[in-house]
Amino acid sequence: MTSCFILALSAVLLPLLVLFGLKFGIIGNLLAPLEDDPRYRQIRPVGSGSFSSDWFDQMAARDDVAFIVPRTRSISATMRLRLPDSETGRIISVELIPSAAGDPVLGDLDPPSGFSSVLLSQDAADKLAFAEGAGAEGILSRTYKSQQETVLLPLTVTGVAPAGAFERDGMFVSHELLVAVEDFLDGRAVPPLGWDGSPTQDDSRKFSGFRLYARDPGDVAGLRRGLMARGIDVRTRQADIELVQSLDRNLSIVFWIIAGIAAVGYGISFGSSVWANIERKQRDFSVLRLTGFRTRGIVSFPILQALMTGVLGWAIAAVIYFFVQAGLNTLLAESVGGGEAVCRLLPAHFMIAMLLTLSTASAAAALGGIRLAKLEPSLALREG
Amino acid sequence: MVKSYEAGGTEFRLSVPRLDILKGAKLAFVGESGSGKSTLLELLAMILRPTESKAFNFQPAADGQIHDIAAAWESADADHLSDLRSRHIGYVLQSGGLLPYLTVRDNINLSRRLVHRSTEDVAEHWAERLNIAAQLDKQPAKLSIGQRQRVAIARSLAHDPSVLIADEPTASVDPLHAERIMELMIGLVDELGVTLIVASHAHRLMGRAGLQMIDHAIDAVSGNSMHVTVSDASS
Repeated sequence: MTSCFILALSAVLLPLLVLFGLKFGIIGNLLAPLEDDPRYRQIRPVGSGSFSSDWFDQMAARDDVAFIVPRTRSISATMRLRLPDSETGRIISVELIPSAAGDPVLGDLDPPSGFSSVLLSQDAADKLAFAEGAGAEGILSRTYKSQQETVLLPLTVTGVAPAGAFERDGMFVSHELLVAVEDFLDGRAVPPLGWDGSPTQDDSRKFSGFRLYARDPGDVAGLRRGLMARGIDVRTRQADIELVQSLDRNLSIVFWIIAGIAAVGYGISFGSSVWANIERKQRDFSVLRLTGFRTRGIVSFPILQALMTGVLGWAIAAVIYFFVQAGLNTLLAESVGGGEAVCRLLPAHFMIAMLLTLSTASAAAALGGIRLAKLEPSLALREG
Repeated sequence: MVKSYEAGGTEFRLSVPRLDILKGAKLAFVGESGSGKSTLLELLAMILRPTESKAFNFQPAADGQIHDIAAAWESADADHLSDLRSRHIGYVLQSGGLLPYLTVRDNINLSRRLVHRSTEDVAEHWAERLNIAAQLDKQPAKLSIGQRQRVAIARSLAHDPSVLIADEPTASVDPLHAERIMELMIGLVDELGVTLIVASHAHRLMGRAGLQMIDHAIDAVSGNSMHVTVSDASS
């Protein structure tokens, strides 16, 4: 009788575990690139604006912002670059990309720092035939007081950014260097580098753009709304994110409807059998009470039995699940590719499954227990 | 003490104006079926809640304390009543009331286990006294009705109660066996100094067994009500 209910429970639980495992695996595979690829978290401004240092401080302090650095006008964020030791002697023009510690596109690489430490984009490194340890030289020209001026800036290339970090010729530079370049091209002095010009701006400097990354793909929509509301037009890959999110939501709804139906069905069948069982054993329970068993002890009996049924049924379902999971993943591995598991569950999912199972089973049994507690002992005794 | 209830459209009222049962007494409530004998036993066994109760005191020989049962019902202290029952009362039902999935041995030991007392050799001792030693490892279903009643008596005495309550203990057994079982029970009760309260409709059998008889007097039976008064007896 009890073993039947353990098996029945496993039979209900197993397809639910597999279904949830598939949902979790498939959505996980769709979400993985969104989580891993920083481009999905990027929020790019359209056109140029005017952002103060205060604004950047405020943005950086937000929980949903992972990374933000100011950008200068794109016209003053370029530099010509060559590798003095290279055989080609080729000079290319690179866009300057401000970076700092925690830049999502640089991964584990050390960020650029100071006025000389920089990283190259993959394209730039290829064109310059950059080899590890080679020095570089930046060339900046301006017309200042009707005079053509050119300065050379010795640079140390500490690394090459991963492919995809920046798809054109680019150089990752520190905030100081970016600002210094803008100052120089605008005809202002940069004392630390010995560049002459008109006096430097004070703190009221405005930046025309930013590089902004949300902490999580899910934060993009909120950040975007906030920026748009303040009149800052931005581009995101929100649509891609929302597609996966809505798929996840819809699949979850479908799953919980199925799980709900299964739980109600099993709850009713289990509950009614507990009930019938108690009805049948009324006399025995009455005898126990007559012998001096306390009500609490008698009521806890069907509940303990239900909990035992729940744990065993869950354990059997979990064990079989592992075989099903392994089978499904082997079977579907070819069509999915990338060696990603199509069906998988976290330990937490098993725990949740167990808790839900136990609460359903004990709720059903508790009803029986209440029935039992209300039973008039003497009536049952006389029927026999 | 009064208990009234309704069964099958008939209002039933059992009143006990006064009833004192002294330690070591051997009483039989006799009366036709439906005269409230079982109801009275259940009230005495503290398993049935009285409708009204001016006073209901229980002083078990084992602890000498006076327990106010009326107050315990009043305050719904069911656990206290369960504990008193498990320690001081043995109850024999008309049809045994053995648990079918336990062996005879485990059935006998049940009452002792409940009060956390050793069960070593207990079942053997009682089985010997009641001539059921050969049945110890059997399930109750394999026993004759007479044997089952003996097991029930063994179980109700195994935890050394002060009071043994038996509801028609021999009603389902043939007369010859009935007398033998009664004799056995009375013998044990005498030997142990246990107070015995029996309900039976077998007037003659009770008389032969030397029990003091208390009649259930049916005062009034009208269309849909029945009043029974247990005759005032001081023993």
